[in-house]
Amino acid sequence: MNEPIRVENLQPLDQPYLMDEAQLADYEASYRNDYHAWAQVLGENVERIRRGSYSLHWLNTDGGNWGKRAKPSSRGLTYTDINRVRGYGDIPQRADWFNFAPRGSIREPYRDRMPVVTDYVVTNRDELWADNVITLYEEAKARQWNATKDIPWHELEALPEDLEKATCQLCTFLTEVEFVAGDFPAKWLYRTPQDFLEVKSFLATQLMDEARHQEVFRKRAIAGGGLLHASPGFEWALKAILDAPSHTMGTFLLNLLGEGLVLSVFRSGEMIAKTQVDKEIFRRCLQDEARHVSYGVLELKNYLATHPQREQGIEEMHRFADVGEQVILTAFTEAALIEPVAVLLGGGLKHIDKGMEGLAHMWRMFIDEYLQRCASAGFDRRARCTIPLDLPWGVAK
Amino acid sequence: MSAAVEVMKAATVSFPSQAWFQQLADQMNANRARQEQLGYVDCVAQFTVLDGGPGGAPLAYRVTFEEFSAIAVDEVPTRELGVADFALEGDYATWKEMIENIVDGHGRPDLEHSLNRLSHMGTPMKLVSTDPVQADCYFRFNQSLQEFVNACARFTTVFGR
Ligand SMILES: [Fe+2]
Ligand SMILES: [Fe+2]
Repeated sequence: MNEPIRVENLQPLDQPYLMDEAQLADYEASYRNDYHAWAQVLGENVERIRRGSYSLHWLNTDGGNWGKRAKPSSRGLTYTDINRVRGYGDIPQRADWFNFAPRGSIREPYRDRMPVVTDYVVTNRDELWADNVITLYEEAKARQWNATKDIPWHELEALPEDLEKATCQLCTFLTEVEFVAGDFPAKWLYRTPQDFLEVKSFLATQLMDEARHQEVFRKRAIAGGGLLHASPGFEWALKAILDAPSHTMGTFLLNLLGEGLVLSVFRSGEMIAKTQVDKEIFRRCLQDEARHVSYGVLELKNYLATHPQREQGIEEMHRFADVGEQVILTAFTEAALIEPVAVLLGGGLKHIDKGMEGLAHMWRMFIDEYLQRCASAGFDRRARCTIPLDLPWGVAK
Repeated sequence: MSAAVEVMKAATVSFPSQAWFQQLADQMNANRARQEQLGYVDCVAQFTVLDGGPGGAPLAYRVTFEEFSAIAVDEVPTRELGVADFALEGDYATWKEMIENIVDGHGRPDLEHSLNRLSHMGTPMKLVSTDPVQADCYFRFNQSLQEFVNACARFTTVFGR
């Protein structure tokens, strides 16, 4: 007879060991190497504490901006309000503080003793600044919503199977794409020095927005029948965004082009929604998405307007867009996206042809809006656009 | 419902008119708690009834939104955008049908009568703007704008100037 199973007799499961030994060793070696720098600080601190003496150097305001109090405006205390106070609102053209010392603090005396974070590589303000970034940050905070309780989920009713599957497939697409719009800003957020805190703050709101979008579409699909098909075309477009060689290029591809098209999908989603629940989801999401698009347009505009060799900057953007547009097109021609939209637009699988006609009309609108956004940013893409202005639906028949 | 809102419910206002859009603004401003949930609205929106004026001429109303309020409502003599970020244009019949639908739905339009549903394809309503970033205000504040017009269910509209 077998021994009874007891907790103390259980063997641990054979799991892969998660800690990378080499990485830990590197970390140890690195901090041993820098020992002279930080251990000296530690030594001085310990000695002072042991002596029972105070430093009180932090009471000295020389070289600082002490005493000029920020005043709230009607909305409370915004970044704009505190940036009006002399010494705090000067956003450097080129960041040269590669650590966490706050802009406007008394930090110069300590510069040589501070570590350098080598990941902070976006040093040029014009690689990320947009004139609307503070406004969008305040707006984003004020217009947050909660996918758990702000959607009238209890009103969700089952649809005929073709419409339900089309809705769930559209939600699967959106679930798949939403988080790249979080991962891309996250990747650049941690590469951005603290002196560009306004942009970092806005990017953090985009992360939250995208988490909520991924959440709400995942919930909608699973509440309506389930997630359906992932698609290679979506994946290539998402990877192209993540791999963009610079923040501005990636922001163009993600915020201006990609999210511009997703904004169009949300607006279309609201238009063709078959339930009030879906209408509310799309309407809430399109508000967030429009903020991301607005940042993308004004970021590109500022980048090109301030580029020291504007013509060269524009040509580089064109080269990037030549590839980027085609990879984004790979996603926006996937059957797993355009067919469910056509089914919803037509009103059922039987009417998919009618839906495709409507989609062709929308396509023209979507691409025209993209080109208008480019033009508004000072990037005339009309003659070079590689996305067909008309959806070539059935031309080879 | 607050006392202020109850009082306004009794009002009867003709459409299209400055007073009608002012009623929407008053309703919005009386429901600040809801606006604080929805968040800031900062834009100038123009609502145009393309054939609402004498002889089928356009009538336009410009609503200035700031923070949580509609701070100004003006009738403008032209459908030109002026200081507006965008205009939402539709003919009288479309506006009337939308308003009646919202009233029938007790403050919520059916699937075919939301602002975005009516304007997305450029017909029967049309979003007009000279700049894409200003046009995006219509999307950035869309839920608030929808609830702004939904407030027409709280008072009685009589149609015709
Ligand atoms: Fe999103
Ligand atoms: Fe987004």
